[in-house]
Amino acid sequence: MSPDNLDIQNSLDKDLIASVTDLKVYFESKQGMVHSVDGVSFDIVDGEMMGLVGETGCGKSVTARTFMQLVQSPPGMLAGGNIKFRSKNIKNGSQVIDLLDLSENQIRELRGERIAMIFQDPGKALNPGLTIRTQVAEVFQEHRENDVLEEAGLKNKLTGVTEYFVKKYIKQEAGFLVTTLFKIPPLSTYKKKIDSGINRLVAEALEETQIPNPTKVMERYPHELSGGMKQRVMIAQAIACNPDLLIADEPTTALDVTVQARVLDLIKELQKRHKTSVLYISHDLSLVRRICDRIAVMYAGQIVETGDAETIFNQPKHPYTQGLINALPSMSHERGKLEAIEGIVPELIEPEPGCRFVSRCMRRKANCEEIDPKLKPISEVNKSHKVACLLYEA
Amino acid sequence: MQIRDYIIRRLMILPILIIGTSIIVFALTRIGGSPIGIYLSHEMSPAEVQEMKERFHLDKPVPVQYFYWIKGVSQGDLGWSGVASAPVVDVFPKKFAATMELAIAAGIVAVSLGIAMGTFAGARRNKISDHIIRVVSVSGASMPLFWFAILLLIIFWVWLGWFPIGRSDPNLFEAIPHPTGFYTIDALLAGNFSAFRDAIWHLIMPAVALGYGATAIIARMMRSSLIEELQEDYVDAAKAKGLAERVVLKKHARRNALVPTVTVIGLTFGFLLQGTVVAEIIFRWPGLGRWMASAVLRGDQATIMTYVMFTSILFLFVNLVVDIIYAYLDRRVVLGD
Ligand SMILES: Nc1ncnc2c1ncn2[C@@H]1O[C@H](COP(=O)(O)OP(=O)(O)OP(=O)(O)O)[C@@H](O)[C@H]1O
Ligand code: SF4
Ligand SMILES: [Mg+2]
Repeated sequence: MSPDNLDIQNSLDKDLIASVTDLKVYFESKQGMVHSVDGVSFDIVDGEMMGLVGETGCGKSVTARTFMQLVQSPPGMLAGGNIKFRSKNIKNGSQVIDLLDLSENQIRELRGERIAMIFQDPGKALNPGLTIRTQVAEVFQEHRENDVLEEAGLKNKLTGVTEYFVKKYIKQEAGFLVTTLFKIPPLSTYKKKIDSGINRLVAEALEETQIPNPTKVMERYPHELSGGMKQRVMIAQAIACNPDLLIADEPTTALDVTVQARVLDLIKELQKRHKTSVLYISHDLSLVRRICDRIAVMYAGQIVETGDAETIFNQPKHPYTQGLINALPSMSHERGKLEAIEGIVPELIEPEPGCRFVSRCMRRKANCEEIDPKLKPISEVNKSHKVACLLYEA
Repeated sequence: MQIRDYIIRRLMILPILIIGTSIIVFALTRIGGSPIGIYLSHEMSPAEVQEMKERFHLDKPVPVQYFYWIKGVSQGDLGWSGVASAPVVDVFPKKFAATMELAIAAGIVAVSLGIAMGTFAGARRNKISDHIIRVVSVSGASMPLFWFAILLLIIFWVWLGWFPIGRSDPNLFEAIPHPTGFYTIDALLAGNFSAFRDAIWHLIMPAVALGYGATAIIARMMRSSLIEELQEDYVDAAKAKGLAERVVLKKHARRNALVPTVTVIGLTFGFLLQGTVVAEIIFRWPGLGRWMASAVLRGDQATIMTYVMFTSILFLFVNLVVDIIYAYLDRRVVLGD
């Protein structure tokens, strides 16, 4: 990505890795525009774990996908806002970019490299027709061409046309003809070296996520692995390039309860070791509290409260957050379901003005149906604790 | 390893299937009446007729006739074709090669065009090119073959004169040997380029006519299964790795979309063979189809049985090949029962 065309005005507090401001993502539907994400703002502190919690359908996944420009369009459309992101580990130092401004090719360079994603259902997120090796290898082929060359013992050994084609081959940019040529001598000797180089990189990546017997697992197809194992593969693939930001969209929801804890611990441990920033999405508030430094609570396409995990838990201000915490069975580590609050989430189609939570709020006031509450700090002392509720607006 | 065992097992049940088919074919043909008519002429006396019956074992019960037939087949005697006025064995290979050449050419047209069109349309869902391809494939699937074939014939042979009918220019092919019976291959083997061009030239129109319907079916299947695959999470996961659109489409989605398409391709092969009868009649292609048509009209049972047996066996093999490709493409298939 060339730094020249990036906006110099882009600025981001030094301690942040990303900042979402007033993000709006809508979907066209026959009934009207669905405001799935409608003015979302939150910050992700560098090296920390940010929890994004909310009921099903409140727009968590759409928010996450927007980071990578992965929202399908149509029907999706970006209706406003920006996502500032500090891209580190680049040759010319770190730089701040707006993820939503990037072209397809620019965002592609970040995907899997600076920003990686783990999906909810590892059984669906792996291609059933390709081996684990083939799938993990792609990350290295796409972003770590030099590492592949080095592992293959080909670094600085190639020149001219050969170098050109070997690189094309590694990056999967070669056409059918060239790919076929690599299967027969003399080019097949390069293919052998490249393959064994890639094998080492893939095995290393799998080892990182504590997969036993990586060289064996590599040759398997996804359906031959357990759910927990598949999620480990996904994690290995995601952290292969040591990204700055890891987005984990309910990575344990689809797993057996016994496996959930281990996968969670793994993510936490890797996050600490590599100082990766993580956006952890979940509908399980107690789980998020256990592992996250900060929390943003989402409701019907908006953030209603955000702050550090302890503050959110000990001094929740928004009636929705308060309801959630009261609904937790006890303050122990049992699961608290967000649906425990009475009432249903309002329609997101062409929403009326006013607070989205009004139909379920026990503390609503007269003007709650007319005025949109703004997300803002409510105390002078703790500026990072923000709430969107008219009770706290003067 | 797994796949090899599977193939072996499938090959082992093949003879049983073939024997079963032969019984059914024989029984069904004999239901149509005694085949004696084709061997007789008006001048024959009752005694001569009786002699003919005995000569062909037609005086025996039907199950016994079956065994005589099988005995003949195993000795390379497929019976006498009244239509061709020659033993079936002598005529069959040439006609078979002609039909196969046509069917395979049509199959190549259908598979390559169908997959390409389906992929193109599926990847550009609801764009103009998708709509155009949809119109082309709907008409392909709904237009009767005889009608489309005659249309091509009128436009490209009668009006424009771009393409010839028949199978070849006899002057070019008398001179070269026919080791395979496939004129295109024979011409190549003989190194005769103008003969090769002539063979291809004769092939194009009937192959396109015959392949159009199958192209449409394959394209539609490919389109819908590709659209389905593109909705899958693994496609997003592949994009999230930073892969180019092209790699996501070709390496990830298309490969999986091919799985259901391959089954359809196997089915369309039957469609093609069936179509050869019409295509051969319209384009004067000297193959099995034309021969069969006259054989049916004249009750030439030896020819009919050979044809049906042969196509059935062909079918069994095609099915086997399709299942193997399917198992290879889709690793989730549990091989066996
Ligand atoms: N591809 C799409 N087409 C149309 N609408 C969509 C699409 N994706 C999301 N939406 C809409 O956006 C809303 C939010 O969806 P999202 O997947 O972000 O919810 P979520 O918070 O991740 O829920 P869950 O906990 O169930 O994963 C949904 O209610 C849905 O109506
Ligand atoms: S703004 Fe009003 S309705 Fe909304 S949460 Fe606050 S008090 Fe309740
Ligand atoms: Mg979700």
